[in-house]
Amino acid sequence: MSDCQHQWDMANIQFGFVVFEKCFHCNCVRTYFTREGVGIIGDEYREDDHFWQRVENAQSFRFDLRCSGCGALEPFDDMMGLFYCTSCQPECRVEKLRKQLEAKRTYLVLACGFLREIAPIPGRISRRKLEELSRYFNQRRDTTRSRIEVAAFDLETGFAQCQGEFLHDVGMLSPEPVTDRKSPF
Amino acid sequence: MTTQELIEKTGLRPLSKFENRNVEGVYISDMVSDVMAGAKSGNLWLTVQTHKSIVPAANLVDVAAIIITGGKQVPVETVELASKYNIAILSSDLPTFQLVGKLYEFGIGAK
Repeated sequence: MSDCQHQWDMANIQFGFVVFEKCFHCNCVRTYFTREGVGIIGDEYREDDHFWQRVENAQSFRFDLRCSGCGALEPFDDMMGLFYCTSCQPECRVEKLRKQLEAKRTYLVLACGFLREIAPIPGRISRRKLEELSRYFNQRRDTTRSRIEVAAFDLETGFAQCQGEFLHDVGMLSPEPVTDRKSPF
Repeated sequence: MTTQELIEKTGLRPLSKFENRNVEGVYISDMVSDVMAGAKSGNLWLTVQTHKSIVPAANLVDVAAIIITGGKQVPVETVELASKYNIAILSSDLPTFQLVGKLYEFGIGAK
């Protein structure tokens, strides 16, 4: 293991879309990142036993982290996006964690992996990688004022009840600003 | 220049409670992904986006303040969330281009 105390920069930044597709047969949702042009919301197609309908195209980006000291690269291509808690359920353990951290001026952001049709909860990003991602954000701020903690999204119920929101853009082509986001789940 | 000094000099309207910060540089974008990739700590973020997700995005990269340009209405929940995070949301009736010119005259350039 490297002894380098990594100084991270974002590298290999790619802007694109996170596409949310829902099967109207079994109700599962899957997501993927694409840099290509995306189809319109409502597009439908069949794939094996699934009947997919595109329910959201969110403008987003993906990146790796590269250490400016040793050149080490930490890829984050398994991360769908960052997510924030909206305090929708007071008894949710994420909300409890959020409040605990905020009392110490630490702000919680959750990292989600992609959704696959085989499982209703998103892929999990490793704790080690999220510690490095937290380090990246904290290297860019005066941490005597506040800190960032990136944790894995790991609610057992997935997004079924969670009303948190992704840090990405939707409705950019809408003539009116989007003030209320419709959940793609 | 601090956020408070900026408000006094430029007539920007503060909408949220905020921590007074030193302002360093300007970042202009209407996409949170772009801000997360490129904005820097202490930046003023100029945007016409008013969805509440701009607040945690701004907090993630530690911008000093968000300036909503073009007189866009900011939803109450965005302002409330910004107050909770102690991030200044300032409002201007000026289009982004004109406001940038004004900020530049005050010596707030791109970092």
